Amino acid sequence: MTLYLLRRLFLLVFVFIALSILAFSLGYLFPGNALQNFTGLTDIPAELATQLTAEYRLDSGYIQQYIAYLQRIFSGDWGLSFASKQPLLQEIKILLPATLELAAYALLVSFFVGIPLGIIAAIKPDGIISRIISALAIAGYSIPVFWWALLLIMLFSLGLGWLPTAGRIGVLYEIPHVTGFMLADILLSNSQHQTEALLNALRHTLLPTIVLATFPTTVMIRFTRDSMLEVWEQSYIKTARAKGLNRAQVLYRHALRNALLPVIRQIGLQFSTLITLAMITEVIFSWPGIGRWLIDSIYQRNYPAIQAGLLVISTLVISVNMLTEILHTLFNPLARKR
Amino acid sequence: MARFRLLPDEQHARSPLLLLWREFARQHSAMLGLALFVLFFLLAILSPLLTPYDPYLQNDTLLLIAPSWSEQGLVQYPFGTDDLGRDMFSRMLMGARYTFGIALITVMGALLIGLLLGVLAGMSKGVKSSVFNHVLDLALTIPSLLLAIIIVAILGPGLLNTLWAIMLALLPQFVHSIRNAIAEQLNQDYVTAYRLDGASNWQVLTRLILPNIWERLTVTATMALSTAILDIAALGFLGLGAQAPTAEWGAIIADSLDLIYVAPVGVALPGLLIFTAVLSVNLVGDGLRNAMKKRREN
Repeated sequence: MTLYLLRRLFLLVFVFIALSILAFSLGYLFPGNALQNFTGLTDIPAELATQLTAEYRLDSGYIQQYIAYLQRIFSGDWGLSFASKQPLLQEIKILLPATLELAAYALLVSFFVGIPLGIIAAIKPDGIISRIISALAIAGYSIPVFWWALLLIMLFSLGLGWLPTAGRIGVLYEIPHVTGFMLADILLSNSQHQTEALLNALRHTLLPTIVLATFPTTVMIRFTRDSMLEVWEQSYIKTARAKGLNRAQVLYRHALRNALLPVIRQIGLQFSTLITLAMITEVIFSWPGIGRWLIDSIYQRNYPAIQAGLLVISTLVISVNMLTEILHTLFNPLARKR
Repeated sequence: MARFRLLPDEQHARSPLLLLWREFARQHSAMLGLALFVLFFLLAILSPLLTPYDPYLQNDTLLLIAPSWSEQGLVQYPFGTDDLGRDMFSRMLMGARYTFGIALITVMGALLIGLLLGVLAGMSKGVKSSVFNHVLDLALTIPSLLLAIIIVAILGPGLLNTLWAIMLALLPQFVHSIRNAIAEQLNQDYVTAYRLDGASNWQVLTRLILPNIWERLTVTATMALSTAILDIAALGFLGLGAQAPTAEWGAIIADSLDLIYVAPVGVALPGLLIFTAVLSVNLVGDGLRNAMKKRREN
């Protein structure tokens, strides 16, 4: 296990180096001046330009420049945003939790809805309930996320007027930024309108969560169902049945534990798709997360922001991938052999 | 359960492809998917011949005509016209070429490059293969939309530029699946036997491995195709892919969004078409997978 962890760690370091090289090279690949792309300053006076060039080592070779870039990344100096002239790291610290909050709720929904439905669908694979679940799953798997969001907004926000269309919370409430997770921040704040604020935030969260959860939920349903059907065929299930355990006991003690193992792995593999969908969902619901910020950055030609966004989002996805894989290996001794 | 048979009966004497087709044709949903898929495919090829009007022709005497099933509609314009007087029906037909056809080309490109890289990775051993894998792991982690944003930032927006982004985003899954399939095949006894007969790497690859993995490749390709259609439409909707006058379904939705109260057809119809196109691809993919499983069991 130690050897396995060491190998994973080595791989992680390698991937991060490759990622930082890619992010560094973007400074040159993007249109415009490399100095502008690295600093985030648009009009630089001549004397400042020479000073900055020396500081960023843009006069020396690429390797020195890259090392200087890494030092800046680790010391927290990520440059400024072209659009707002604010330090990028500060902006990202405010935006990233909003995206994480949305993605976390969607993942939770997909667990609590997708896995039970997948198990139900696997009990009688040719039954009517199973067919309905499978049909719903394949429909949810095929629906374009932006259209689905528009349909729900049309129905629940504009048609019935039940739910708000945009934002994280009503503009009347002022919640101090502590953790960045809206619901946690409301619980931490000592305002007298805490309950109203919480309800308001929940109403704002409901629609984006449903939209974003659709894809991972259907993936969970399909995957749990396939995995359960496969496990159900194994000989140890037959042995357990032969010992006299009833269906529920076999399901809980033997089938479920083995069937859910690959599901853990699937979370890591689907996380990058989830982030793509979260970005689109954020644009439609004006959710102030990193995805909407990145897409705005492309309209504004805000190159330093795109560079920083690549670094943050890829690091996030790589970490989640690695974490789920290590968890999978931890729970599944068979995977350790490889 | 496996029954021992000395002589193949009629069922087993058929070719594997025919057996696959029989299992496939037995599933109604898969056949429906195939019919829709063929329809979209034909539309993508023939749409310029089928459109009743030029999809880009602006007719300022016929602005925002309601679809023909409503009271104010005209029968010559089945889905009405948009705010510039362009025929919606022709634009929808044309959209099949952009959204569905270009997704198909993207997947073909990714498949070819993936096959090349996958074979290189699968047939090589040791450090070379391991380094290759790690580079792939990196590529696998960058979300496709982020990759598209970076490529658009470098090259500028446009359908062709996002095509590269989507191809790049699809590539890792192809290489992974081909590499794994080849690794599985190389462990088979018949490969060893063929090698003992003196077969070279190239002969093993072309005579044994490729014929054995192409069905799995098809399933991977259908999954990639559904992703590609969704990605092209999403990028068109965000304004990063196909640009405004192009009759791409995602771009049409973005165009008609301002008029959603006046002409909801402009949002509903292209969305429904994207949904149907992706659904048909997924139904075919699922059907193929099921058929392969059933054939193995028999």
